[in-house]
Amino acid sequence: MTGLSRILLARAVQAFTVALLVGVITFLLVRSLPGDIAMRIAAGRYGMDMVSVAAAERVSAELGLDRPWSAQLLEWLWNIARFDLGTSLVTGERVVDSLGVELGHTLLLSLAALGLSLLIGPPLGLLLGLRAGSAADRAGLVAAAAIRALPPFVLGLLLILLFSLTLGWLPPAGFEGPRELLLPALTLALGLAAASSRVARDATALVVAAPYFAFARWKGLSDRQALLRHGLRNASVPLVAYLGMQLVWLIEGVVVVESLFAWPGIGHSLVHAIFGRDIPMVQGTALVMGLIFVVLNAAVDLLCLALDPRRRAGA
Amino acid sequence: MSDMVLDAASAMPRARRAVSTRIAGAAILLALVAFAAFGPLLAIDPARQDLRNMLAPMGGEYLLGTDHLGRSILARLAHAARLSLGFATLALLAAAIPGTLLGVIAAWSGGWIDRALSILADMILALPGLLLVLVLAAFAPGDIRVLFMGVSVALWVEFFRVARASAAGVLASPEVEAARLLGFGPAHIVRRHVAPRIVPVLATLAAFGVGGAVVTISTLSFIHVGVRPPTPEWGNMIVELLPYFEEAPAHALAPAGCIFLLLIALNLLAGQDPR
Amino acid sequence: MSLLIEDLSVAGPQGRIIHGVSLSAAPGAPLTLIGETGSGKSLVAAAVMGTLPAGLSATGRVRLEETELLTLPPAARRGLWGRRIALLPQEPWLSLDPTMKAGPQVEEVLGLVRDEAPAAARRGATRLLAALGLGAQATSRYPFQLSGGMAQRVAIAATQAAGATLLLADEPTKGLDEALRDELADTLRARAAAATVLTITHDIALARALGGTVAVMLEGRVVESGPAAEVLDTPRHAYTRRLVAADPSRWPPADPAPPGAATVVSGRGLACGFRARRLFSDLHIDVRAGEIVAVSGPSGCGKTTLGNALLGLMRPAAGTVARSEAAPTRFQKLYQDPPAAFAPHATLRTALADLARRHDVPWARIAPLLARLRLSPALLDRLPGQISGGELQRFALARVLLLDPLFLFADEATSRLDPVTQQEVMELLRAQVTERGLGVLLVTHETALAKAVAVRHVMLGVEP
Repeated sequence: MTGLSRILLARAVQAFTVALLVGVITFLLVRSLPGDIAMRIAAGRYGMDMVSVAAAERVSAELGLDRPWSAQLLEWLWNIARFDLGTSLVTGERVVDSLGVELGHTLLLSLAALGLSLLIGPPLGLLLGLRAGSAADRAGLVAAAAIRALPPFVLGLLLILLFSLTLGWLPPAGFEGPRELLLPALTLALGLAAASSRVARDATALVVAAPYFAFARWKGLSDRQALLRHGLRNASVPLVAYLGMQLVWLIEGVVVVESLFAWPGIGHSLVHAIFGRDIPMVQGTALVMGLIFVVLNAAVDLLCLALDPRRRAGA
Repeated sequence: MSDMVLDAASAMPRARRAVSTRIAGAAILLALVAFAAFGPLLAIDPARQDLRNMLAPMGGEYLLGTDHLGRSILARLAHAARLSLGFATLALLAAAIPGTLLGVIAAWSGGWIDRALSILADMILALPGLLLVLVLAAFAPGDIRVLFMGVSVALWVEFFRVARASAAGVLASPEVEAARLLGFGPAHIVRRHVAPRIVPVLATLAAFGVGGAVVTISTLSFIHVGVRPPTPEWGNMIVELLPYFEEAPAHALAPAGCIFLLLIALNLLAGQDPR
Repeated sequence: MSLLIEDLSVAGPQGRIIHGVSLSAAPGAPLTLIGETGSGKSLVAAAVMGTLPAGLSATGRVRLEETELLTLPPAARRGLWGRRIALLPQEPWLSLDPTMKAGPQVEEVLGLVRDEAPAAARRGATRLLAALGLGAQATSRYPFQLSGGMAQRVAIAATQAAGATLLLADEPTKGLDEALRDELADTLRARAAAATVLTITHDIALARALGGTVAVMLEGRVVESGPAAEVLDTPRHAYTRRLVAADPSRWPPADPAPPGAATVVSGRGLACGFRARRLFSDLHIDVRAGEIVAVSGPSGCGKTTLGNALLGLMRPAAGTVARSEAAPTRFQKLYQDPPAAFAPHATLRTALADLARRHDVPWARIAPLLARLRLSPALLDRLPGQISGGELQRFALARVLLLDPLFLFADEATSRLDPVTQQEVMELLRAQVTERGLGVLLVTHETALAKAVAVRHVMLGVEP
């Protein structure tokens, strides 16, 4: 099997696992709810005042709640496989519909954050890696350590306090245009860049000390030529691989930062759904969030493959 | 020969710096642990309201002032420290002990045991940890036992993976092959070969695990799905004090400062770049 | 194009490391510096190249044609790299960019250093590589897909591309097996006809093959120099004599096993490897008490696999292994890289004490054994990483001898040691073979060593 198909297969298995995990947990969630689940769902669907025993029975029959639990679980999972995610218990809207709107917002925020972090972190790391051990390098280490010691919600809060409340430059929350995007994206990007700048710095320092870099200079190449021809690509191999690990941090951060900035994305919606125990929404949002994670991971894998011929050969 | 001389010369200050940052980290952590352990014994009841003294400034009758309900912030920070550190330590133990044991067992036995455990670990890692904790939190929002379960379930996998990978590397090495040929059994191999290698790695992981657990519960409280008021918790306190930021900015930032100090201390102690 | 080194000294913070070295080389008259690790031979090359580690400085004169190198400003010395001086790095497969194909790594020198147009650079690179026997197929591969010898030739082409006429080769045979070493000697010799070649090595066979001038270095001084044949055949200095005598081809011949000695291990009809890559098949091998049997062949031929199969560390794909006794601890192994075979965090005293306790061996037996292997008891309190490779390999020998082994599998056990140290360790091992009737399977890539010590010699090839 080539490197490409192996990656796609592994990520497909991961996507399947995400669906299974989310499906089983939310199924157990339904079973664990106190009171009559059919009644609750009916209440969500028809409104609290309209609930009647007849409505609950209709729901019960429709969901097959009278059948054995194993059959119910299979049906539950089958619905996920068909992407039939039901309706929100709170708003009565189809889950798929609201996810469709929120997905765009979440992707916008994640990609803006990722892009911004790549503009800050790796170039800074490259510069510091070429001056490894200098005062600037140590200052970079201290700054990165300080930023990493601020969880996303604290970092975001500090940025709001600074840029919105004190300086009044940017809106603290909401969703109107690029001005609202900047603060949440920056919150995530700073955390990501703090780490990726250190990885880029170490990778650069390692490449500059590598025998092939010395040999490039001995061949007669200038430092600049050696860096462009042999430094950047080699240094980006571990950096891109690390990007895959950062995705965990990004996805977790998106959930928190969306809530903090009232950004109408999937993470925000997930937190609301948990708060309101809106199980179809919990399931839908967690599923899509998990799938975004899988897709971004696959993209990073493919990028690694393109950069490193050793991986292409499956070595 | 000359290389060795030079390496030794440049390694000296680096090693000394590493030791001094570790000592600084340990000192901060110790101070926070002492605060968590003894603070609640000395300070006032965190729930007592002094209604004539709401949002009292720092440094007056109350060392760190009072919140909007006139409760001592110092007392509440101390109780929150006890909650966070206690929670994180227990979650760490609940994750590290089975994670490490299973990791070493998987590396040692190989075969289907290894494969089954690795599949289980991959399943849990398929979702980012916080997402898993969040979904589990839906079972009983605000119930700390559910959070505890979620954090431990997400964390044991890290220990499993690191212990398994490090142990597998050592077990496949010539030194272990030699030890087996020399007639040594599993106890000796674990004690002399495996443990010295995996303990430092696991110690670093433990430092990050504690930090991660503390961040997780404060984050969940902050987004209203974790510990609920009036229980003093750092994330909770920020939420409660934020509306009064303009009158008392330092009050709202004090809990954030505690989290920051704790994470810095753990980072210094781990002696690693922040990743 | 000639290189003249006069009274070259290198000093560091702790004082002088190289003391007044004077040597010369020219096209057709290559210079080879030989000596053990730490003798300072690599520093001489670094001083010529201008790559001395920070903190070290060179004095004296190094003249390349009319150019005095040591007084040249650093930027001007950089300007000579590739164009007039080239350095062939050790283990060149590590010195090629792992993410770039082989061809472009030569081509870029012509394009960037000699400012040739892309098409001309490509043609030039193809010509250079073809002259070294590398066709289009090899040059479109990545370094990890090249054999050691091919990577070596790509590196040589790259050092030639910008027109350098002084080639410094630093330990060029390190990590190469015997066939590749001969091939490299031919390549370097051909290059030496047109360019000045300065080679740094501890490989006497390479020095002999290169001809020209040989200079022997010891503790930062040249103790002897002259025409290669003269220095290596009639050495005057005591150290050179030891160095030359350490070459296995000069060793006294091996004693055959005493008649009627019992067979300690035998393999019948052995086959190893998988169907797609069969390493060897239908192999018969016997090792008797008191003899050394050698196995050699190119890397990847399955030498180590054979030894491991005899020890029972792995199951052969076919055939049977019979051992003369059931106790597995009487069948032992010595490893290629001694530090890798010890727990790095335990002192040697702890390691031996653990072993003595495990097998109820009185500690009193250890002291005479160490003395017999010429190991000072003071070394016992060091960690494995704190003593030399030769000393640690002797500790490894002591460790297995405590268990009264019948059979010892020595897996390239001396290949990482300097020649003199190799001879020392090997002599001690041979003494044990005679004294105790130990049966040894020696795996080595050095045919000369195998011939020198073994009564029987199994050559493995790579099966098609």
